[in-house]
Amino acid sequence: MMRRIFSTLLASLVLLASTGVAAHKASDSYLSLSVDGARVTGQWDIALRDLDLVLELDANRDSVINWGEVRARHAEIAAYAARNLDIKSGQSACPINVGEQLIDSHSDGAYAVLKLSATCPSAVDALTVNYRLLFEADAQHRGLLKLETRATDGGSPRVVSAVFPADNASQTFTLSNGSTLSELGTYIADGVKHIAIGFDHILFLVALLLPAVLIRDGRRWLPVTDMRTAFWSVLKIVTAFTIAHSITLSLASFDVVRLPSRLVESLIAASVLATAIDNIWPFLPPKRWLVAFSFGLIHGFGFATVLADLNLPNSSLLLSLLGFNVGVEIGQLILVALVIPLAYASRRSTAYPRYALQTGSIAIAALSLGWLLERSLNVQLMPF
Amino acid sequence: MKPQQPRFVSQCIAVVAKLCVVVLSSTSFAAPYIPASDLTPLEKLATRINDSAPVRGSAAMPTLGPSSRSMRALLARDPKNLDLALRIAQLYMARARSESDPRYLGQAQAALGAWWTQAEPPVPVLLLRATIRQSNHDFKSARLDLEQALKREPNNAQALLTLATVQQVTGDIKSAAESCEKLQPLTSRLIGTTCTATVDGARGQAAKAFDAISTALAEPDAARGTNVSVRTWALTLQAELAERLARPVDADRLYRASLALDAGDAYTIAAYSDFLIDAGRAKEVIPLIAADTRVDTLLLRRAIAAKLVASPDAAKVADDLTQRFAASRARGDRVHLREEARFVLVIKNLPSESMALATDNWAVQKEPLDARIALEAAVAARQAKASRDVVKWVTDTKLQGEKLNQLVSEARAL
Repeated sequence: MMRRIFSTLLASLVLLASTGVAAHKASDSYLSLSVDGARVTGQWDIALRDLDLVLELDANRDSVINWGEVRARHAEIAAYAARNLDIKSGQSACPINVGEQLIDSHSDGAYAVLKLSATCPSAVDALTVNYRLLFEADAQHRGLLKLETRATDGGSPRVVSAVFPADNASQTFTLSNGSTLSELGTYIADGVKHIAIGFDHILFLVALLLPAVLIRDGRRWLPVTDMRTAFWSVLKIVTAFTIAHSITLSLASFDVVRLPSRLVESLIAASVLATAIDNIWPFLPPKRWLVAFSFGLIHGFGFATVLADLNLPNSSLLLSLLGFNVGVEIGQLILVALVIPLAYASRRSTAYPRYALQTGSIAIAALSLGWLLERSLNVQLMPF
Repeated sequence: MKPQQPRFVSQCIAVVAKLCVVVLSSTSFAAPYIPASDLTPLEKLATRINDSAPVRGSAAMPTLGPSSRSMRALLARDPKNLDLALRIAQLYMARARSESDPRYLGQAQAALGAWWTQAEPPVPVLLLRATIRQSNHDFKSARLDLEQALKREPNNAQALLTLATVQQVTGDIKSAAESCEKLQPLTSRLIGTTCTATVDGARGQAAKAFDAISTALAEPDAARGTNVSVRTWALTLQAELAERLARPVDADRLYRASLALDAGDAYTIAAYSDFLIDAGRAKEVIPLIAADTRVDTLLLRRAIAAKLVASPDAAKVADDLTQRFAASRARGDRVHLREEARFVLVIKNLPSESMALATDNWAVQKEPLDARIALEAAVAARQAKASRDVVKWVTDTKLQGEKLNQLVSEARAL
C-alpha cells in the first residue's frame, strides 16, 4: 500500500527536488513589540493563509477569504494568537491583550494585523518572548520579531531584531533601558574577547612584535640599546595596524565594501604566514609599520565579519563599531604589555634571536600555513 | 591605476545610495486598514502557479480539500500514526510542487513531526525528509538520509532518483551517473532515460542525451501509462538540451510541447522564458507570466522581460521582487541566492553585489544556471579571480551552450 503511494508520487517528488521550490516565500509572521517601562505594546501581522490553515477562515469554501469571513472569527483569531505567545519580564508573566484587528498587505499576500498590549508587574529589564504560533501546522514557520525599547533619557529608541524558528522558540532580550554607556561596555568587551580568542590576530601581532626589540644587521640580529627605540618601534607598528583595520572595519560595517569571508579568512592566514617567514628570511619591506598597515587592512575585514555576526540593529551600528574597535585596541595593548617587557628583558640573551624569534616564527608559520590550507581549500586539517 | 580612483569612489557612493533605496522601499508597506465591506476579497487560496493560464496537467495532482483537514485532525489526535502522517506529508509535497509554494514543505514537515528528528526513521520518512531538506538547500543532510535509505533498501527507486538529483545539483556528476545507472532496471524506461540524460547533458553529451529522450518518448507506453509530470520533465529537459546544442527551433517546439501538457509547470515556464529572453523575444514572456504571480522565479523573468521591452509596469514588478527578496532575507533564507544574484545584476545593475551572491550560491549549487549567473556577474564586475573556479568547472565537465562558452571566453579575457 505504502509502496503504491510512493511509486505514483515518485516522479513528482523528484521534480520538486530538481526544480527547487524557490518560489514564493515560506510562512512568516511579523511581531513588533515596544517596551516602555512596565508596558509592552505592539502589533502582530499574521498571514491570512496561515490562519486559514489552523482556523479554516474560508467559511463558504470558495477559495477566497473576504473581510466578512475574517471579521466573524476575530474572537477566535485573538484567542489563538494569545495562546501561542507568552511575554515575561524576568520570571513574571505579562498577560497579553489582543485589541483592534486590521488588514495589511505584505509582499506575499494579505495579513491580519493584531494590535497587542501587555502590562508587566514592574519595569522590564529582561524580556522573554516565547513564540509558538503555527509550529504544529508548519514546521518551517518563523516569527520575525522587532523589539523596540524606548530610551528613558530621551535618546533614540534601541531596536533589536530576532527570528523565532521552531527549535528556538523562547528567547530572552536584555533591555538596556537607554543606558548607552552599558551598551558601549558590552561592545568593548566583545572586541577584547575577539582578540583574546582570535589566535590568528594574536599570532600576527606576536610575529610582528618579536623582532621589535632587535635591530637587523645584515644577517644578524642585534639587541636594541635602549627602551626608547623599542617603544617607538612598537608604537608605530601598533598604531599602523590600528588605523588600517579601523578603515576596513568601518568600510565593511557600512556595507561600502563587501568581501567573501572565506577569502578574508584565507588572506588573514596568509598575512600571518608572510610575517612569520619574513622574520627568518626577510622579503617584506623593512619598515615594519608598513607591513602592519597593509596586513591590518585585511584583518579589519575579519573583525567586520565578527561584528556582523553579533547581529546588531542598524540604529546602534556606529556605537557598536566604536565600542568593538576600542575593545580590539585594549586587547592589543594587553597583548603588547605581556609580550614586549618579556622580549625586552631577554633581548640580550643569545637564545632570544635563535629560539624566541626563529623557532617561534617557524611555529607560527607552520600553524598559519595549516590555517591557510584549511580556509582556502575549505577542509579540516587541524583539530582546532 | 590612477584614473580608476574617482570611479571607485563614485561607485561606492552609488552602492550606498542604492542600498538606502532598497531599505526604504522594503519598509514602505501601506498602513494597516479596515476593509470597506464584508465582501471585500482579501486573499485567494490555492492560487495556481500562473493565473493567466489555466492549469491542466496539475489536475492529476492530489488536491487538499476538506479531506486533508479531517486527516490533519485525525493526526492531531494520533500523531504517531505513520501511515496517516505519510499520506498527509505526500499530499502536501505534491501541492508544494504543483503550486511552487514552500509553505507546504513546512506543513509536510509538521505532519512528520513525530519522526523528524529521529536518527533512523522509517525509510518513507527518510525519503520525504530528504526531499524537504533538499528543497531547503540542505543538500548534505538530504544526501545522508538517502544513503541511509539505500543502505536499508538498495533497490528503492525513489531514493536512487532523488539521490541522483542531489548529486547532480551539487555538482557530483560522477556519482549522479552511477545512481542513474542503478536506477535503470528499477523504473520505467522514460524515468531512467531522463535521469541519465540530465547527467549526460551536464557533461558534454547533450546530443546523445537528446536522442535518448526522443527514443524513449517515442515508445508506445511512454505516452499511455506515464504520469504527465514525467513527460513534462523529459520534454523540458530535451528543450534545454536543444538549447545547449544551438538548435533553437527544436527548443522552442519542445518547450511548447511541454507547456501543452502542463501549462502551469513553473520550471518549464522559467526555462522557456529564459530561452525567449536570450533569443531577443522578451516580448513573448509578458503574456506568459502574470505580473502578480506569487512565484518568485517567474516574477524574476517577468521583471527582466519588462525591463527589456520597457513595459509600463517594469518598475512596479522590480519593486515587488525587491520586497520579496528582503522578506526572505529577513527570515534567514538562503535558497534564493541564484535568483537574487540575477536580479541584482540584471535589474539593479550592481555587478559586485551580484557576484558576492553568485559566489555564495556556487558554493552550494552547481547546475548550468548557477554557472551562468556566476560567470555573468564575474564578467560584469570584471573579477577574473572569482570566475576561475567556474571556468574550470565548465571546462572540466565540458558543459555545452553558446552563451556559456561565450561567457567562458569573456571571463578568460578578463
